[in-house]
Amino acid sequence: MIELRALEVEAGGFRVGPLDLVAGDGRYVVLLGPSGAGKSLVLEAVAGVRPAASGEVRLAGADVTPLSPERRRVGLVFQDGLLFPHLTVSANIAYGMRGAGRDGAGSPAGLAGNAPPGAGRSGRAARDAEVARLAEAVGVTALLGRRPATLSGGERQRVALARALAARPRALLLDEPLSAVDPESREELQEVLRRLCRERRLPVLHVTHDRDEAFALADECVVVIAGRLHQSGRPLDVLRRPADAAVARFLGARNVLPARRDPRDPCVAVLRAGGSLRVAEPLPDEAVVVVRPEDLRLSTAPGHGQLVATVTRLTLQGGHVLVGLEAPASLDALVPAGELDAAGIGVGKVVTVTVRPRDVHVLPAG
Amino acid sequence: MSGRRISPFWALCAAAGVVLVTFVALPAASMIAGAGAGLLGEAMRQDDVRRSLVLTVTAALITTVIGFLFGVPLAYLLARREFPGKRAVEGIIDLPIVFPHTAAGIALLTVYGRQGVAGRLLAPLGIEFTETMAGIILAMLFVSLPFLVDGAREAFALVDERYEHVARTLGSSRFGAFARVTFPQAWRGVLAGAVLMWGRGISEFGAVVILAYNPKVISVLTFERFEGFGLRAAQPPAVLIVLVAFVVFLLVRTFLVPRRRRPKAGAP
Repeated sequence: MIELRALEVEAGGFRVGPLDLVAGDGRYVVLLGPSGAGKSLVLEAVAGVRPAASGEVRLAGADVTPLSPERRRVGLVFQDGLLFPHLTVSANIAYGMRGAGRDGAGSPAGLAGNAPPGAGRSGRAARDAEVARLAEAVGVTALLGRRPATLSGGERQRVALARALAARPRALLLDEPLSAVDPESREELQEVLRRLCRERRLPVLHVTHDRDEAFALADECVVVIAGRLHQSGRPLDVLRRPADAAVARFLGARNVLPARRDPRDPCVAVLRAGGSLRVAEPLPDEAVVVVRPEDLRLSTAPGHGQLVATVTRLTLQGGHVLVGLEAPASLDALVPAGELDAAGIGVGKVVTVTVRPRDVHVLPAG
Repeated sequence: MSGRRISPFWALCAAAGVVLVTFVALPAASMIAGAGAGLLGEAMRQDDVRRSLVLTVTAALITTVIGFLFGVPLAYLLARREFPGKRAVEGIIDLPIVFPHTAAGIALLTVYGRQGVAGRLLAPLGIEFTETMAGIILAMLFVSLPFLVDGAREAFALVDERYEHVARTLGSSRFGAFARVTFPQAWRGVLAGAVLMWGRGISEFGAVVILAYNPKVISVLTFERFEGFGLRAAQPPAVLIVLVAFVVFLLVRTFLVPRRRRPKAGAP
């Protein structure tokens, strides 16, 4: 289990946190946020290569904040794999094995029954067998004799993963592990990551700026923007109900509209840019309303909508068309391509826009 | 080549290069050619030349080992950490590059000479720096240290610090990460710096001659023979040391320097 308690990390005047977070055994937690949000600093502090400014890092129930990285037993994988270039793939994987039962003490109860590889009479044979087993688990058996420079991005990441697992970590820390991997390998690698986390009951802390990656992998998603924790929860909840406008914008919400309450009707949001929308529940004086593009209904029949808008552009997206609107607030609607043709909607046309009140999400202003 | 026009710009650059390369290569080639194999053999038969050659090479080697032991940790520190006064430390280390070497010898004499602070302190222990090999090493160390420290610092800086982070999470101590991960990636650069330091050491004259005219290193011997007996007498030791230095330098250029420029593995 990884546990962060009010953890704060500092680098060159930039402060991240305080951060509270729990990743149970076998739980996949993704730290999601834009580049420069300070996510990697958090990972460095958990690994121990950067001191925590305040707060606690706990692993498997024990406070490891004062411990050096070599005593924490965490696996660390970076974006570019960072395989040791002077060693073969096999030697890379075996690197941490020598110390797997390190220090004699500090070996958690769960591992007590297992002799550390490399410790016995046939240490070398045991180590080779362990390397082969890990290589098999991540699918790099054919690469064991190769040098890192000859591997593809995806292969490097697999080896880096095997190397991290070889040291029998209590937690896995992944810093943008899929960013340098081509799209086809990425999906396979995601599968490997999920499987290893589950099978080995490892808590995983995975840092990324990629929303799709986060939603594909995470049991829990923690959104960090500009050093501050904005929201955490199940991916679908975060996606459907962003906690504030910053999260909504970061998650790619297109229609994020500053608004205020209509003094005559608390369930009507008056948009700053003009026009108004009916909402399901009374909203505060100042708010931000968010509408997903697929929740906007367009019609060419006059007088039936809440907003009147002009179509400014059409962008094909798969089988759908993203319709740019000026209402006069700038809006995007996602409409099935067939529907669009049937309704005769084109650039320059005036349309009416309808939204069901329960599809208008109200977030605190700012 | 025919049909392809060479732009005047590159022609100008190449012409400038030809002038400089000739300027450096011609005297060296002329000296070696003028000496001839006979002269070289004769030089090797002369006791004082042989002794001087061994002395020079050995002293420079000891100098380099000392420089390595102290310079590598310092270079690593400079490559990895920011600390108050770092710029000053870097400046001081590089100072000998701009020091006139005779002035360096004088400066060393004021500290390590018979009247100097360190000289007086060490004399009772039997360590003297005037007219001794220790003095030669001291002078060589002073003028050649920057080459090793700068070379090693640059080599360490080229190794991503995150390699060490990974190594440490895999159980290596700070020293273990340095020895097993960083140094194996940086050794070519460090060695290149060490060879430069050694080369600078064997060629030193100014600082050495002030601390230790005797025993004579090869540059002092060459100078003495030139002063006393003229060009022909001075040629054998000069040719000998230039050849030794040239061979070592060539080996380094061939086996060390080009490999250092290879793209780093693991880069995205």
